[in-house]
Amino acid sequence: MSENTNAVSRRSLLKGAAVGGLGLVAGSTIATSSADAATRLKGSTVRWTTRGGGATGDKIAKAVNDAFAKKTGAKVVAQQVNSDDFQNNFAQIMQGSPDDAFGWMAGYRSNHFGEMGLLADLTREIYRLKGTLPTSAIKGATSPVSKKPYILPTTYYPWALHYRKSMVKEIGMNPEKIDTWDDFIKLMTLTQKKGLVGYSLGAKGGWEAMGTFDILNARINGYKYHIDLLNGRAKWTDAKTKETFKYFAQLIPFMNENVLDISWDGMRDLLLQKKTGAMMMGSWFANDFKAKSQADYDDLWVVPFPEINPKWGIDSIDAPLDGISVAANGKNVAGGKALAQFWASPEGITEAIKAGDTNIYVSKSFDTSSYDSFNKQKLAVLGSAKNIMFFLDRDARGDFAGPVVGPAIQSFIKKPSDINKILESVQAQWDALPKN
Amino acid sequence: MKTATTSKKTRSRRSLSKTDRFTLSAFVGIPTLLQILLLWVPAVVTIVLSFTYWNGIRLTDIRWAGIQNYKTIFLNEPLFYEALKNNGVWLAFFVLVATPLGILLAYQVDRGIKGHAFYESIFYLPVVLSLAVIGIIWNFMLQPGGFVQGLMGLDIGNAISIWGNPDINTWVILGVASWRHIGYIMLLYLSGLKSVDPALKEAAAIDGATEWQIFRKIILPTMKPVNIIIVVITLIESLRAFDLVYIIYGSPTIFPLLNLLVFQNFAGQGLSMKGAAYAVILLVLCIVPIITYLRIVFKEDLK
Repeated sequence: MSENTNAVSRRSLLKGAAVGGLGLVAGSTIATSSADAATRLKGSTVRWTTRGGGATGDKIAKAVNDAFAKKTGAKVVAQQVNSDDFQNNFAQIMQGSPDDAFGWMAGYRSNHFGEMGLLADLTREIYRLKGTLPTSAIKGATSPVSKKPYILPTTYYPWALHYRKSMVKEIGMNPEKIDTWDDFIKLMTLTQKKGLVGYSLGAKGGWEAMGTFDILNARINGYKYHIDLLNGRAKWTDAKTKETFKYFAQLIPFMNENVLDISWDGMRDLLLQKKTGAMMMGSWFANDFKAKSQADYDDLWVVPFPEINPKWGIDSIDAPLDGISVAANGKNVAGGKALAQFWASPEGITEAIKAGDTNIYVSKSFDTSSYDSFNKQKLAVLGSAKNIMFFLDRDARGDFAGPVVGPAIQSFIKKPSDINKILESVQAQWDALPKN
Repeated sequence: MKTATTSKKTRSRRSLSKTDRFTLSAFVGIPTLLQILLLWVPAVVTIVLSFTYWNGIRLTDIRWAGIQNYKTIFLNEPLFYEALKNNGVWLAFFVLVATPLGILLAYQVDRGIKGHAFYESIFYLPVVLSLAVIGIIWNFMLQPGGFVQGLMGLDIGNAISIWGNPDINTWVILGVASWRHIGYIMLLYLSGLKSVDPALKEAAAIDGATEWQIFRKIILPTMKPVNIIIVVITLIESLRAFDLVYIIYGSPTIFPLLNLLVFQNFAGQGLSMKGAAYAVILLVLCIVPIITYLRIVFKEDLK
């Protein structure tokens, strides 16, 4: 076993040297290497981490990994880990003896660790998948700093306005036409009049409410301002940022009283139990509606957050991109890369969907006509936006999003009138961060 | 006097056999080595790192920061002062309410009031649970959609805000923490009380001492070693509080505590040496009062 691994690394080293020396004769090198990869992989062990997902997660992983093993003759050893623990200890795990490949998140979370040398450069694999991936996904997976991809993009989902069609009908509105800010306010007002929650929000963990902030800021000040703000090129104390919080404050009277007590699952339950008019959430929770009953799932609907400033329309959306990354310190990096590529390829995707995956894939070569109406609507919502944001905690640096912006939004919800003081503090904390 | 003790010491040292010396140095040496390796080295490294910028990944990325991490914490972090307040309230509550209650219970149980075995087991029960488990239990009871809210007929949409309400959550959390702490202190004190010679109490009672006088003048002084342990435990338990709150909130921002901030700034994406600075602040806060207290106590002993 260990001899085998040695042989692999020696050979890939030689190959790397050869490529470097010859310059890139891209097409032929890649063709030979992928054919070669299969022979090299045979009999080697590749380790895979499933990040959460319970029994369904395991089932999907097994289906894809088995297909990979059958194709290449490699052995795949998989384990499932708690998603939050994996995320929180990511740097330590990657520096220890990590599994070779795993599901991960695009944006700051992969770029940062890739630039630090903990995630493998997947330029070749992206190149091989190029025909199947849209340019936007490739761009999203590529670090703007090093210009290298550290993740192979697979799935994404919209953060958008969710509600139940039956409830909207009950208050006398058309569930297919919640388009404008006025429609949105009317929906919340009428729902609240029935003694229910107009707009449900959770902020127990600090991150849940970031979705509402992101979309308000992008609608009011535009995509560029939002991204600039998250990266220190615009100021939190700017009147434009304050304007966003003015709109945020308008939503508070419609909210549940226990925003700081509930997280995303509380929000999901509010909608599931028909206790709320609308909410901003990532569509992933729809799986739980389906698990409850098909009728609940059919009742669920999603639309883009309404326009506020006509200058921007509805041109931006939070659509976190997920994918597969490869640990640079894994025991079998070549195997990890091959496995990652398989997961992101049409072959792997087909296996995952057969095993019950309800995610939307970025791959162009997947036939979307088999999607149910909710998934088709998700695609339509995603397609309505020109600019894709990844969500605040993936668009901003890790020592700022969670530790600074999260608690700031919580304080704002506790006491909206303190907003100027809160924003000054956020800016001061940004200014105090070590800059490279 | 002095020379006498010195010569006594040298004599006893000389009388150690080779095996004795080996055994002794092994008994002292191995734990010391482990202590240095596992405690002092990381502590010193943490202190040094608290003066740097580093994301914990590549050694070459370490940059000297001077006191910048501390400056940021003291000047720019509202969470720090909230945590300080919460830890302070926690400490005050434990010192003034929970620990005295535990001692009182121990005293009552020891006196053999009616049904004392029953009370003893009732109050002791939470002690067998870890604070993490206690967090899970109480979160399940009090969260929106939880058991207690359900009993009150409140669904998730109109559930009372408990964990998220700054006016209530401190007291609920302290209540839950005390639920366990009281039993713990009771147990410790009870084991001490069992070793107090009942003849002392009887003699005092015959001399006409009141219950309070007996407790203050007889029990408390004879219990000195246990008292020291209890004071130190109360201090440490309040300052290092972490698991209960972490389990309930999953994040350190609604009810910040110093230890939660250490964790938040070290863990995962937030990885930064500000976490080390928080750890050093916590270390100082823990060590200073404890050393001061122990010095006072031992000085009295020497007298």
